[in-house]
Amino acid sequence: METRLANTWRMTVNEKKFIETALDSNLRIDGRNPLEFRNITIKFGRQVPRFASCAIGFSLLSSEDGSSDVLLGKTRVMGFVTAQLVQPYRDRPNEGSLSIYTEFSPMADPAFESGRPGESAVELGRVVDRGLRESRAVDTESLCVLAGRLAWAIRIDLHIIDNAGNLVDAANIAALAALLTFRRPECTLGGDDGREVIIHKPEEREPLPLIIHHLPIAVTFAFFGSEGKMVVDPTHNEEDVVGARMTVTANANGDICAIQKAGGEGVPQSIILHCLRLAAMNAESITKKIKSAVEVYNTERALRKIKRHSTSVAASVSIADGDRRELQNKVTGNADDELSRRHIERLKLESEEASVNQISNADGGSDSSELGRTMKGAGSAKSFLGGPSN
Amino acid sequence: MDAKPSGLTTSFVNNLVVPGDVVLDISSMANQTIKLGGGLRQDSDAISVIKAGKLRFSKPNKYWVETSQKRYVPCAEDTILGIVVDSKPDNFLIDIKSPTLAYLPVLAFEGGTRRNIPKFEDGTLLYVRVVKANTGMYPELSCTDASGKAAEFGVLKDGYMFECSTGLARMLLSSPTCPVLEALGKKLSYEIAVGLNGRVWVNADSPSTIIVVANAIMNSETLSGVQQKIMVEKLLQKIQVNRVRFHLLVPSKSRYLHYHLHRHISEFDSKTSKDAYRDSP
Repeated sequence: METRLANTWRMTVNEKKFIETALDSNLRIDGRNPLEFRNITIKFGRQVPRFASCAIGFSLLSSEDGSSDVLLGKTRVMGFVTAQLVQPYRDRPNEGSLSIYTEFSPMADPAFESGRPGESAVELGRVVDRGLRESRAVDTESLCVLAGRLAWAIRIDLHIIDNAGNLVDAANIAALAALLTFRRPECTLGGDDGREVIIHKPEEREPLPLIIHHLPIAVTFAFFGSEGKMVVDPTHNEEDVVGARMTVTANANGDICAIQKAGGEGVPQSIILHCLRLAAMNAESITKKIKSAVEVYNTERALRKIKRHSTSVAASVSIADGDRRELQNKVTGNADDELSRRHIERLKLESEEASVNQISNADGGSDSSELGRTMKGAGSAKSFLGGPSN
Repeated sequence: MDAKPSGLTTSFVNNLVVPGDVVLDISSMANQTIKLGGGLRQDSDAISVIKAGKLRFSKPNKYWVETSQKRYVPCAEDTILGIVVDSKPDNFLIDIKSPTLAYLPVLAFEGGTRRNIPKFEDGTLLYVRVVKANTGMYPELSCTDASGKAAEFGVLKDGYMFECSTGLARMLLSSPTCPVLEALGKKLSYEIAVGLNGRVWVNADSPSTIIVVANAIMNSETLSGVQQKIMVEKLLQKIQVNRVRFHLLVPSKSRYLHYHLHRHISEFDSKTSKDAYRDSP
């Protein structure tokens, strides 16, 4: 019993008292305003751990898509999205499915026990799940391949890496960011009877992103005492003192998708309405952040595509160059040959730059440098945004 | 006795060592007594490292490995901040961020007798000294110095306690006063108690000062001395601007050009710091 006592995180009387007295003068222990969110950093990892392989036995995913790493202050959550082809549910033969799994590692917080999911793990999963599913954020009908026979089952894994408070919001952002960058392989029907499913490799056909109608953003409020003191985005310490918590899931249009109220303390109606307005405002700014991060990632991904082509023929560069020259020669007679030549030259530059990048990247093998590189690449990507997309 | 470290060690002292490094060969130093601190182990004649960190040497004969981590490995004569978890008839159970709880005997207070056992509610913050830290036993704490005086040990009231790495705690206690504390002390008046187990308690007149000090300290983990000073200056400037904006006048009291500092020199000998000051509880 004493080992367990030693492993639980606890707060002193001093801290509890201080958090409340500081809040009296509208101060929070990390220097924020009561209604301020912590910094959000969204990264997209390229290494996806191999999760349960698909039932039909295809290795479906290019490794970098559908994974996110979200930092909310010091809270850190990773999200991974995977998909597999399964038989759809009987009552919904035309729909794919979406499920959320959470992983609370004891590394993130000594209070988390390994094995059985705790109360908070279940709550977190349910809140994120409700926000995404009940509001029909992900179009599940488009996931159907063959009615009643095959549909994509999307699985979101949320890994809590570090708990510094407000896991729900961080996990929700991680789930959205991962969903936005996830791509599933394209499927077509073929064969003699037209009922045979062909799954195209990512090299053959560009994998398809999910259809996401809107982004439901969770915003958590914490209430202290009965005087209606309220803060947004509580930290770990604040969570320990709060009388009540409320998570409002809203989207940028101001629609409320879900509400979850935990803790014993009652909250007056006027404050709840105030919270709803605040949630909608925060949802808008967070949506912007997620979208801009995803955009940067997508640009970078598109540029990497070009790189991939050039490196795949790297062994026979001279031939490839020759091909290009041939191509150039072919179009010489054309009226718009000037334009195409310029394009080709740009492409060449691109591939050179890409290969240089690749060399400089080759020595950094660790995960962190991998992430750093992604960001760095994204930065340089901006400079020739208009280049290849012609 | 020759106090110089043997040839083998000099290359390791103040350098990074990793588990498995043999830093001392005591067969060549037959007549010397050496004292080993945390992170070192004796395998017959070889002293090897069991923790990654910096090897430290203190004259005449002490060796230990310094690391920065979230958990604390108790070491005798460290002064630390503990949280009362439970009260037993003979002992208080104290959380000191170590793998096990520590015992604080109810009589380990100045003039402590069975009749005047102090009462602590759970969650009370105490400034204590580690008396015993043997493997396989719960560490034992005391609220007195080696001579039985209360010194500055005891309950820390009010204020705010936050956790940091053991490396940062050691930096705050290092003997030319840590630049971040110095820079803050020039503008603000505050009290601070640093525990070697990576807990820091800060108290001041106004909550805003406490928050500024606490955040400045937490930010300085990876900064050099000069960077720390710049960071503090920027922070204070920002605060000043904010205060004007919100018409919160700076009380003239908080412009004292001094600060109180609990200091502990991180060595194995118990030293009562001369310049330490705190209201006795």
